[in-house]
Amino acid sequence: MLCQFCKKKEATVTITQIANGEKTELCLCHDCAGIFGDKLSIISFPQFNLENVLSGLLKAMDIHSREKGAVPIPEIKCSNCGLTYNDFTQTGKLGCSICYHDFSEQLTPLLRRLHGKSEHIGKVPPQKKEKLDKVNKIKQLKKELEEAVIKEDYEKAAKIRDEILKLEGVLKEKNAK
Amino acid sequence: MQNNIDNKKVLLQNLVESSAEWTNGIGPLSEIVISSRIRLARNIESIPFPARASEVDLKYIYNLTKQVMEKSPFFKDLRLVWLDELSPLERQFLVEKHLISIYHAREKHPYRGCIFNQKETISIMINEEDHFRIQYLLSGLQLTKIWESINQIDDEIGKKVTYAFSEKKEGYLTSCPTNVGTGMRASVMLHLPGLIKFNRLNDILEAISKIGYVVRGFYGEGTEVMGNLLQISNQITLGLSEEEIIDNLEKITQQIVAQEQKVRRELLSKFKNQLEDQVWRAYGTLSNARIISSAETMELLSKLRFGVELGIISHPDLGAINQIMLLAQPAYLQLLAGKDLSPFGRDIQRARLIRDKISN
Repeated sequence: MLCQFCKKKEATVTITQIANGEKTELCLCHDCAGIFGDKLSIISFPQFNLENVLSGLLKAMDIHSREKGAVPIPEIKCSNCGLTYNDFTQTGKLGCSICYHDFSEQLTPLLRRLHGKSEHIGKVPPQKKEKLDKVNKIKQLKKELEEAVIKEDYEKAAKIRDEILKLEGVLKEKNAK
Repeated sequence: MQNNIDNKKVLLQNLVESSAEWTNGIGPLSEIVISSRIRLARNIESIPFPARASEVDLKYIYNLTKQVMEKSPFFKDLRLVWLDELSPLERQFLVEKHLISIYHAREKHPYRGCIFNQKETISIMINEEDHFRIQYLLSGLQLTKIWESINQIDDEIGKKVTYAFSEKKEGYLTSCPTNVGTGMRASVMLHLPGLIKFNRLNDILEAISKIGYVVRGFYGEGTEVMGNLLQISNQITLGLSEEEIIDNLEKITQQIVAQEQKVRRELLSKFKNQLEDQVWRAYGTLSNARIISSAETMELLSKLRFGVELGIISHPDLGAINQIMLLAQPAYLQLLAGKDLSPFGRDIQRARLIRDKISN
């Protein structure tokens, strides 16, 4: 095939341009491809992203629930911010952190569809980590306390007991906040 | 912590005059990877997310931020600016600087803020879509280093406030369920003229979308691809650890870089004369034009950048090209000029600035 531009040399390069879903192809020789190449630097990409997937899923769920029609699903409302689940399906945005708890039944399958999973395995905030560390420490100390009592080392047992009480106090204070 | 309204003018003036670390053009693989960025979305337990928050809630976050900043020596060199105190033009300037998102600049609710450091590596948006959006930005491919730094900042804040976090389930809770889990978006900005020229990009993009990564434009989500620059970032934020997300992105980036390098070698061996001609023509236009649009500037800068990356031309260097790219943007231009300019006036001012920068 001859180059579509100079119509003299053999075409060796095919340049495909995709813009707004329209595909155009040009078969060019090496020399012309070099000249043409720079004119093709604007390409629009198919915008596949989670936001689009989310709104698609929510729309589908909305249609589905309307088709069921006759029996309306009781309106669920967030106990903290008052957002209804219906509001969420319209905007795709949740109202507050408690929404995740109150809409948990509906959100879990949605999250699984969006992310492939529904449980977090990454970082834990320092405050929670501190608490978890303390809970674990108390568990360990309780074991040591039992051992000390069995060995009748009451002096050591008293020390451990004080330490446990202190840690539990700190945890209670944190929970009260 | 400098957060005085009186300081606002000084603050902005400093920003206009200074250049961000990420623009220096000397990071690892900077001949293709312009910058790397990680952002974390964080919220305070029980307080409604900004879009549904009352003015009292928003003010609460505002005061909380001030307290955290004042208490921690970690934040003493950071600057804080409240967007209500800025004009639309000044807010647009912060977008052009990549310190805030377009959404943050245009949203109407009060008490929106931005915290940043002098090098512009750190930026924390307050009351954006989430209560806090922490961002860390460096030049070249440096995701691991960024994670170390941003993790520290996040801990520093997380020790003082109670983050919305669900231990056994969704992790960090965010306004949009597409951010929940790690709340992390990691991204790299790439210059890919070779792959775009040969249209080899679509295959790669299809492949990365299958494993949960996506392409965005120059200013992030929903923005255009300009000057052969595009951003690749993770979509999936839940069920993967932060390290896994970063590691995957780093590997994807290295593969794309290798492909781009291969195409560049091919281009150089087959079209050396044409490439040299294009690069020098771009240089000629940029150093002589009297009127130039923003779109033409981006296109020519991409060619010039390509020339530097291929070793065809050595002046201006990548750092200078990055700076020209930023200050050629509309709001930056007008703040530099110290007055509002019409689109035509901007085209003249832009051409003048570019000539000055290139001849220096």
